[in-house]
Amino acid sequence: MATASHQRQRSRRRPGARFSAFGLLRQGLTRADWPRVWRHRDLAGSYDAVIVGGGVHGLATAYYLAKNHGMHNIAVLEKSYLGSGGSGRNTAIIRSNYLTPEGVRFYDRSVRLYEELACDLNFNVMFSQRGHLTLAHNDSSLRTMRWRAEVNSLEGVDSRVIDATEVARLVPQLDMSEHAHHPILGGLYHPPGGIIRHDAVVWGYARAADALGVHLHQGTELTGIDVVDGAVRGVQTNRGTISTPVVVNCTAGWASVIADMAGVGLPITTFPLQAAVTEPVRPFLDTVVVSGSLHVYVSQTARGELVFGAAVDPFPSYSMRGSLQFTESVAGHVLELMPALSQLRMLRQWAGLCDMTPDFSPVMGITPVDGFYVDVGWGTYGFKAAPVAGETMAELIATGKTPDMIAGFDLARFADGRLVGERGAAAVGH
Amino acid sequence: MLISCPLCGPRDATEFRYVDERRQRPDPEQASPQQWRDYLYVRANPSGPARELWLHRSGCRQYLFVDRHTLTNEVQTAALARTEGTR
Amino acid sequence: MTSSHRLPPQPGEVIDRAQRFTFRWNGRPYQAYAGDTIASALAASGVRVLSRSLKYHRPRGLLSADFNDPNCMVTADGEPNVRAAHRLVSPGMSVSSQDTWPSLRFDVKAANQLVGRFLGPGFYYKTFMRPQRLWPAYDKVLGRFSHGGYAPTAPDVDRYDQRYAHPDVLVAGGGPAGMAAAVAAADAGARVLLVDEEHHLGGHLRWADAEGLEILRELRAAVQAAGIEVMTDSVVTGRYDGNWVSVLQRSVPGVRERLVKARAKHMIVAPGLIDRPYVVGGNDLPGVMLSTAVRRLVNLYAVKPGERAVVLTANTAGDAVAADLGRAGVDVVRVLDARQDEDVVRIVGRSAVRAVECSDGAVVDCDLVVTAIGWTAPLTLATVSGGRAEFRAEAARFVPVGLPDDVSAVGGIVGDGSTDQLMEHATAVGREAARRASHRAVALAAGVPHARVTAPADTPAVAIPDLRPAAHPMLSLGRTDGIVDFSEDVSAKDLKSAVREGYDSIELAKRYTTATMGPSQGKLEGVNSIAAVAAATGAGLAETGTTTGRPPYVPVSLGALAGRSHQLLRRSPLQGWHDSHGAAPLYAGSWVRPDHYGDPAAEVQAVRDAVGIIDVTPLGKFDLRGPDVPDLLELLYINKWRKLGVGSVRYGVMCAEDGVVLDDGVTGRLGPEHYLMTTTSSGAEATYDWMERWLQTERRQWRVHVTPVTSNYASINVAGPRSRELLARLTDLDLAPDAFRYMQVRTGAVAGIADCVVWRIGFTGELSFEVHVPAGHGLHVWKALLATGSDLGIRPFGIEAQRILRLEKGHLIVGQDTDGLTQAYGAGLDWAVKLDKPDFAGKPELVWQQMRDDYLRLVGLQPVDGAVVPPEASQIVEDGTRIVGRITSSRMSPTLGHAVCLGLLAPHLSSAGTTVTVRLPGGGSIQARVMPELAHVDPEGVRLRG
Ligand SMILES: Cc1cc2nc3c(=O)[nH]c(=O)nc-3n(C[C@H](O)[C@H](O)[C@H](O)COP(=O)(O)OP(=O)(O)OC[C@H]3O[C@@H](n4cnc5c(N)ncnc54)[C@H](O)[C@@H]3O)c2cc1C
Ligand SMILES: [Zn+2]
Repeated sequence: MATASHQRQRSRRRPGARFSAFGLLRQGLTRADWPRVWRHRDLAGSYDAVIVGGGVHGLATAYYLAKNHGMHNIAVLEKSYLGSGGSGRNTAIIRSNYLTPEGVRFYDRSVRLYEELACDLNFNVMFSQRGHLTLAHNDSSLRTMRWRAEVNSLEGVDSRVIDATEVARLVPQLDMSEHAHHPILGGLYHPPGGIIRHDAVVWGYARAADALGVHLHQGTELTGIDVVDGAVRGVQTNRGTISTPVVVNCTAGWASVIADMAGVGLPITTFPLQAAVTEPVRPFLDTVVVSGSLHVYVSQTARGELVFGAAVDPFPSYSMRGSLQFTESVAGHVLELMPALSQLRMLRQWAGLCDMTPDFSPVMGITPVDGFYVDVGWGTYGFKAAPVAGETMAELIATGKTPDMIAGFDLARFADGRLVGERGAAAVGH
Repeated sequence: MLISCPLCGPRDATEFRYVDERRQRPDPEQASPQQWRDYLYVRANPSGPARELWLHRSGCRQYLFVDRHTLTNEVQTAALARTEGTR
Repeated sequence: MTSSHRLPPQPGEVIDRAQRFTFRWNGRPYQAYAGDTIASALAASGVRVLSRSLKYHRPRGLLSADFNDPNCMVTADGEPNVRAAHRLVSPGMSVSSQDTWPSLRFDVKAANQLVGRFLGPGFYYKTFMRPQRLWPAYDKVLGRFSHGGYAPTAPDVDRYDQRYAHPDVLVAGGGPAGMAAAVAAADAGARVLLVDEEHHLGGHLRWADAEGLEILRELRAAVQAAGIEVMTDSVVTGRYDGNWVSVLQRSVPGVRERLVKARAKHMIVAPGLIDRPYVVGGNDLPGVMLSTAVRRLVNLYAVKPGERAVVLTANTAGDAVAADLGRAGVDVVRVLDARQDEDVVRIVGRSAVRAVECSDGAVVDCDLVVTAIGWTAPLTLATVSGGRAEFRAEAARFVPVGLPDDVSAVGGIVGDGSTDQLMEHATAVGREAARRASHRAVALAAGVPHARVTAPADTPAVAIPDLRPAAHPMLSLGRTDGIVDFSEDVSAKDLKSAVREGYDSIELAKRYTTATMGPSQGKLEGVNSIAAVAAATGAGLAETGTTTGRPPYVPVSLGALAGRSHQLLRRSPLQGWHDSHGAAPLYAGSWVRPDHYGDPAAEVQAVRDAVGIIDVTPLGKFDLRGPDVPDLLELLYINKWRKLGVGSVRYGVMCAEDGVVLDDGVTGRLGPEHYLMTTTSSGAEATYDWMERWLQTERRQWRVHVTPVTSNYASINVAGPRSRELLARLTDLDLAPDAFRYMQVRTGAVAGIADCVVWRIGFTGELSFEVHVPAGHGLHVWKALLATGSDLGIRPFGIEAQRILRLEKGHLIVGQDTDGLTQAYGAGLDWAVKLDKPDFAGKPELVWQQMRDDYLRLVGLQPVDGAVVPPEASQIVEDGTRIVGRITSSRMSPTLGHAVCLGLLAPHLSSAGTTVTVRLPGGGSIQARVMPELAHVDPEGVRLRG
């Protein structure tokens, strides 16, 4: 009900703001401008909560705080433009076929939220559930896939081990010859998985949060956190200071830098992750194809570009310049899978920063500093988790109680030696 | 990125393997779980100058203490771990 | 079609009129000369429409007539997205337009133009949301908007290649400045590599006047005389950390594309300038061309680009093009001089230019509109090198600033001047580049960090003459809205409305409209995009800034990036024998191994009843020497080693510092200070690194020498009750049970081969001897064993039989029966963990694990119904769906005639005799019983001790 009344408010406040086919028609005829997706705001002297990082996690957290918990006096600080971090650089794979029951439940909730997100945000995020296929090149990966499929099906997630014939039917371009160095023995097929327009998710959350009164501050960099007697009192930014009892660290690759400002150490190392696209060709690949052994994955966007990704770079860095070696190895591996594609041309490569944890699982929740929360450790797989992470973080911040769904992802698990067992499934899958 | 190995000279980073931040192993008999697990898991992860351990894997196979800037990837120094004076 | 628009020979033409041939365009034959590009040959035949635009399918013709031309992507001989204005046409080539249906001239999707007003930027974000169930259908339809040719489906027959280069100075761009810089650097002693995208060196001098052509001839001669390596039809595609420069080389005989990886000591960026399109209504009609396009067509290809031309000029290039047109017999009906405030208001036409509306109100009929309104400096190479783009308002263009020490720029991207001035500047930069390169070579050799490369006092820096961009009026957006990004079909109006919607920075507007994201990556449309955003925000171009340039500079084929595949597959010296004896290959990590020879169950039987041999060469093997080896073993393994005597071996398990099981294997003491260690084959590399890490960092005082010897030995395991009998026939070693006990090692000759290491172990659970033979003699020993054992019932066995045997015996496989969280106690290794040792890797965690009771444990399991083998990874559940464990290994045991398993199980279920529920992947579930031991066969170990 809260939702409905907010939406009413929104449409009353901003006539013509709702997106729809009819709206497009009217706008086309009248040539009137659409209202702004979000507004520029002055920095207030105090907020009930300050969220650091204008990526999908920060924005989703802000949105659910406002929408589900009625907290409107909150700010999102973004040092650059919205979505300039991993959220605007990822390869947008969404899936829930993880390995541990807690992982599967968590990501499944996220997929379900994604399925409704376009309607919820009134912004088409173009979630294309085209299916996600992980290839098995040897017995041990088949075994891990069977393990994943079993855990998934126990949690009600559609994912199954398929044989080589079915793989060939789904993706005819694959080289199925038996004497390939990496023969394809089968795969893990996950029909609800797919890809999404990452920018649209970022913008959709931002627009909806703005409509609920959240202040979005672009070009605003957090430079310090004031901690007094073990509790957060405020923050410093390049645009001034803010007093606040709550700071939420949603800065992914920069998580350690922000946590350091609060004196909190994290089990995180920042590695660049690279990706690349080819020039567009006519649609021919309508499944996301992943090969763990070859450390590569491929999908084709609605624009016709093939998107390639791989594992993180071999050493930590905050540099996003990218390497030649990445393009060479990703091209080599793609051609091992689909040899006919050698004439396609790589158009652009880029890199983003990934906050890797030792157990390929996020770090969410409270920290030893009162009022300092973390929603980090999203590594190479965090885009898909944004809705559920935002929803649960908002619940934690608003109610003070850690939702069961994220209890196992707490920071204290490292000191307690309770790591999550996701290593097997998260390594290249994204 | 180039690393100047004290034994082999300047070589491309692909010949090396990044191992970890350069850190002190706590005394296993004395360490509390908290200390030991900080050692296992918590990392400084600096954005800027970093002190690291690398292995010249496809070269002389020596472990090197490398000082590197993580924003520019510029390597300041690389010294043999085996003979580096005090740690 | 005849070349009706071909001019008489031109002074700078690159076509060879002696070689004439035909090719096909959309199925019809056309004439061409050698040296023609696809586009020039078509233009010579009067073809004006080469493609349709992405969204509205508007007809498009030549715009820049070079590699960057967004309007002439075609499919040539099946290769998609070929740049028709760059690719040379060849005899019989079959070229077709892309994404046009039913034909280029009549394209159904052109109907999109009618609904264009409803399809503003990002329209798809605003609709197709309800009803949710229809979205998948919309999703499919939106995919049809994608552009480009068809991806090939047949394997590519062409070859691709890679090579390395180590130039002192690499020059990216072979115009007059690049050539002058290259020559100067070479004259100063540098090894120079000069790269140019075009088929000939010369840049804009190629269409210069007679004087310019003479300078070009001299420059080319100088380049040749200086011994410079020249790559034409090649592009510098990227510059990475450490001046690692990638060059895409085309036109190499026998190779379609080659990736050259150059470690340049210095790079000079000399890409020249790009003619900027003018954004005005109708600017994408066929017949609207950039001045450089027209100059290329006329001067290089002798093509008459139209009959009646209107020229809009703001600079000397525009003035020159008017002269070219006059010479080519084109009627220049109007020259509008932007410097005199004359302007084009709108260009009119439907499928081609028909007229131009001028700022003075005149409407001039024409079929060609040529613009020369300003220059864009292609700064990608400069910015990926760490430089920045700085806007010079008075010159109306961005220039590179802040280049690193080992990169410089020359020519048009730096500034303007006469050819002499440009060359003078470039010559100085080239000489300075050579100087820096030589100092860098010295610094590198001395191991001095790059940041501290400084010039010794004896060679002063070369003085670089000033070169700055000349004043130029800022023209970009005209009085009416036109196309900004031709490949993405994005107009100025689209960009402005995106800004008004709130996407009000260049990065957001780019992402929202997709401007600059197409195949030319902003080279043509970048500045106009910035201008459109700036116009809408009211900010200047300088504040608006540029988007981040990203490599590659031009698209590179996957084939070239991949190079020739080098698959490093490791093979034991016996693998050839396995291949020729029907072994099914198993690809395990980097090794190929025999999985089985047709009948794994029979192979198992042979080992249990008689004798079998298996090739275990891939086991990691390390020769350890020195007085402190026992200390190292104590530290690496969780069990004890100090008392291991000479002649004995022991099984050991290693854990990481977090207590998680890392690796296992047998290590033997061959002499007082000499050990042979084996590891799993997949863990060999990591173990090697791990040992060295301890020795070089934490335990530097220890004297241990580690040598990897995996490939020095062929390793053969001889297993089965008759293995002793067999081996005795081939060796003088005393194999008597008391002389050579279980877990002992001997060295000696086997089958006449000296220096074999033989140890008695029992992974299979049988009496067995593992023989490590000097690799070159492996095959001899293998054959000798088979021949000698034929009367004993010997069989070779493969990995599958070995897996069954070890499972029957309950021996774990690290990584299969353990996972990334399994610590030693969880793996059932309680017997091995020795907490009374002072220190070993992972000890603290094992101390604490031993006090806990919350971890899964490895147990032996047998299904109650022995005929059912639950697949590996079947989950063990409680209360229907709660996961309490899983089957890690399972096989039908040929020895017991009963299914046997290992599994990880929650502690409350792990005691012997407990019955658990195993959920089968196909559906249904079975009961299984927890066994008292991990071993199913011979838990007492009688057989292997026999
Ligand atoms: C190439 C690549 C491919 C990927 N593919 C996938 C995929 O297919 N599927 C998937 O689920 N995930 C994928 N990921 C991971 C995913 O992108 C991230 O996990 C996710 O975007 C993290 O979102 P975030 O909002 O936490 O962080 P980000 O989007 O990185 O946002 C953090 C923000 O914090 C800002 N910030 C940093 N410091 C400060 C400061 N001091 N003050 C203010 N603001 C600051 C940054 O500018 C940034 O915008 C991929 C990542 C990359 C790089
Ligand atoms: Zn070295």
